[in-house]
Amino acid sequence: MLSASPYTRELINNKMGKYIILRLLQTVFVLFCLSLLIFFIARVMPGDPARVALGPLATREQVQELREEMHLDKPFFVQYYFWFISVLQGDLGKSLYTRRPVTTDLKEFIPATLELMIFSFLISLIIGQVMGVFAGYFRDSWFDNLFRVFSYIGIATPAFAIAIFFLLIFSYILNFAPAVGRLSLGLKPPPQISGLLILDSLFARQFNTAFEAFKHVLLPATSLAVANIAQEGRITRSSIIANLQKDYIIAHIVYGIPMRSIIFKYLLKPSLIPTVSIMGLDFACLIANAFLVETIFMWPGFSRYGVIAMLNKDLNAIIAVVLIIGVAYSLMNVIVDIIVSFLDPRIRLQRGGI
Amino acid sequence: MMPLLEIKNLHVQFRVFEGELKVLNGVDIVISEGEKIGLVGETGCGKTTTMKSVLQVLPTPIARISTGEIIYKGRDILKMRPNEIQNLRKGEITAIFQDSLAALNPVFTIGQQLCDVVKYSSRDGDRNYLSKKEIISRSIAVLKETGMPDPERILKNYPIQLSGGMRQRVCISEAISIAAKLLIADEPTTSLDVTIQDQVLRLLIRLVEKKNMSIILITHSLGIVRELTNRVYVMYAGNIVETVRTKELFANPLHPYTRGLINAIPRLTGEGISKGIEGRIPNYLNPPAGCRFYPRCEYRMTVCLEKPPPLFTTGDNHGIACFLYKE
Amino acid sequence: MSKKKSFIATLSIGRYNLSRAWYKFSRNPLSVFGLIIFFLIIFVAVFAPYITPYPEHAGAYTNFREASKPPSLTYFFGTDSIGRDIFTRVIFGYRFSLILAVVVLSLSIPPGIILGLIAGYYQYTWIEVTIMRITDIFIAVPPLVLALAIAAMLSPNLFNQMMAISFVWWTWYCRLVYTMTISLCHEDFVYEAKLIGASNTHILLREILPNCVAPILTKMTLDMGLVIIVGASLSFIGLGVQPPKSDLGTMIANGARGLPTEWWAAVFPAIAITLIILAFNLVGDGLQDVFAVEEV
Repeated sequence: MLSASPYTRELINNKMGKYIILRLLQTVFVLFCLSLLIFFIARVMPGDPARVALGPLATREQVQELREEMHLDKPFFVQYYFWFISVLQGDLGKSLYTRRPVTTDLKEFIPATLELMIFSFLISLIIGQVMGVFAGYFRDSWFDNLFRVFSYIGIATPAFAIAIFFLLIFSYILNFAPAVGRLSLGLKPPPQISGLLILDSLFARQFNTAFEAFKHVLLPATSLAVANIAQEGRITRSSIIANLQKDYIIAHIVYGIPMRSIIFKYLLKPSLIPTVSIMGLDFACLIANAFLVETIFMWPGFSRYGVIAMLNKDLNAIIAVVLIIGVAYSLMNVIVDIIVSFLDPRIRLQRGGI
Repeated sequence: MMPLLEIKNLHVQFRVFEGELKVLNGVDIVISEGEKIGLVGETGCGKTTTMKSVLQVLPTPIARISTGEIIYKGRDILKMRPNEIQNLRKGEITAIFQDSLAALNPVFTIGQQLCDVVKYSSRDGDRNYLSKKEIISRSIAVLKETGMPDPERILKNYPIQLSGGMRQRVCISEAISIAAKLLIADEPTTSLDVTIQDQVLRLLIRLVEKKNMSIILITHSLGIVRELTNRVYVMYAGNIVETVRTKELFANPLHPYTRGLINAIPRLTGEGISKGIEGRIPNYLNPPAGCRFYPRCEYRMTVCLEKPPPLFTTGDNHGIACFLYKE
Repeated sequence: MSKKKSFIATLSIGRYNLSRAWYKFSRNPLSVFGLIIFFLIIFVAVFAPYITPYPEHAGAYTNFREASKPPSLTYFFGTDSIGRDIFTRVIFGYRFSLILAVVVLSLSIPPGIILGLIAGYYQYTWIEVTIMRITDIFIAVPPLVLALAIAAMLSPNLFNQMMAISFVWWTWYCRLVYTMTISLCHEDFVYEAKLIGASNTHILLREILPNCVAPILTKMTLDMGLVIIVGASLSFIGLGVQPPKSDLGTMIANGARGLPTEWWAAVFPAIAITLIILAFNLVGDGLQDVFAVEEV
């Protein structure tokens, strides 16, 4: 199978490669249709976006001028055509609210949300999976019961409610972590390399700033992570419990493989598979809930930008936001599918891999 | 000669929501070196539970051993410390399971699992693992012993890629790579089709004889037992009801249950359809106080209700748990 | 996995299954607890005007003398910034949540099921392709985001909120039923029905659909909680019920302004929302136990 042909040709010949490429193409197509849908809804809704943008004091001529500029008087497909061409050139239009190109807004706000999500993901991964494994292995112990109660509440509480509770308890009562924004006033942010404050501060050797930034991201990230910890932890837990009963674990024990090896290798891998499958969906919830958590913590992020755009009927921004979320979510799903294929040979073989 | 394994008066209970299931009600089994024992009984009579008790893999919060002793080479397993039990698993007692697909971890290759078994069982003392090359060559050797074609390729395969017969051979390889003295085979061929069954069983017996192992062959097929074992233990509802040399069992079955079983074997000659045994296995929640076969027995007596019959021994080492044969 | 039954078999099992279902459900005390809370909330919400201490506070009412009072015996949950009793408003808020859940699910489930059945049954035709591609578009984005986008474009009120969420929600049921249908429509009993000459409608509705009921029901109860969360998120931003009425989401938003000193205005509605979602989730878990095929 491994001949000396060029890499891409090998990839296309390989069935697994074909599967991946097929998925990606499907994703592109779906996103294209998504953009059409959102565009359609945005243009079809009641109200005049130009008027809304300029405010009630603007003159009729100014409104008309803006309408022409935004091609609002042209038929639907023409408008879409103009929009599509500019997107291909990297221009997502101008935000009616911030009056800046949408791409500038995105460049400013996406890193903030990215930082939040990375932290949230790390927290839910480390805490959630560890707790899930322990709860599953020590079933019915005090730890397990505590975890189960926690997970029920964690799933049932909406993220913004959790955010409020955390704000109250940790910020105001215990004064443990700051409540607002990414960095306290008076601290100079580091030179922007990646946009991730903590990383940039570390690069610039401003350790104090890095620590402050870390404290600021702690509460919002944990609020977001709670629901995921609860859900993914539960799935890992039940997966471990189910797999402990499986005959192959008994077989491993009988053949003398030490318990340590069994738990961390032979039990862990099959138990993680259902959890990983869910992570794609959970990432979506992360983006969705980030909307509200960012509002509460006044985190200047992409999701908050999205909410404000929607409330202000800022057309270009709304479309851009929805598309980016769509891209991220679809990509995440494809990545999760690939990871699951690696973990579970049964699925991999079904898809034509090796 | 001291027996290899002696199970004495084993009582095992399972705690379930409705109460306690008294599954094993005093099981006695003796096996010597090199013996081939058959453990026969219908589904649900406690054969697998007995085996799991010996291997110490009962689901412990739910199941517990209330009384009894399991004496291996003179020492009671139930009193051993965990690391001693671990030593047993690495070099003394081994097992084969019924469903080969379930007994192999689906997300790891055959090679990974087999090499791990070889690695941990060949560790002498505390430290000395074999080198990786040696482990692989040993794994290939043991696969060849079980008649696997192209062992190198098999090592890279996943369990799902192999057929049922090949998987069972892999399980047998895993079992015999441990230089054990006792092999417990729990219905090793029940899920295979008949031609493969024959092959696998013959392979098993050949290996056992070559390595001078004892084997407990658990099955519900009298045919297999008749062909391959020296001695048979017949089990019903958590008790051993009869035990004798295999030939003697088929020539002269004494216990009513055994008689029923043997009469139920369809014959090519003779009249009509063979007769089964009426009734069903007892409810383990509230088993009868006396003999558990009482409700289905043709030869019931009042004494059978009062207390469970112990295992009487007639001449020729024929054990039988029935008041009919009380001397 | 559900046990696959033909039409005839389904008819005869009905009543027997109900008591058995209750037995399985009641084995888990948490599910029973959830069920009790569930009925309690429904009861309280339905009879809200009669059992709340200050029913008039639910609408337009101001009483600045009593504004922002902490929880006490007169005002169980305290008062908000205009002087309205929060306890009463929470109970009335439950009404909106329940209405939202019921309406959204009633509107989105039937079309979703029907489209899923059709798409799965007429596999490899343009019908399936169209339906499933449309579903894919909706599923490409998390439901909250899309609902948010749509709701933002309409004027904010309860009706539009419900419409926005329903518009997005049907696709999940469509996909669920679709995946079940494509595996079921190759089963023997479907072929048998075709041989007898059963119409396609009969096959879809009477043979395939009953076998999908279990996962649909489970998803439905879990979805009730999810829909309430999405609805509350929308109201939190201001896209739901408008003042002077308010549901739990808007109450939390308004109360959040008063943090940390007037904590009761935000905390109690938050606890209330958690409680109703918890109840739905527990009941959903219990239903999963009922439908799970037990191992020996």
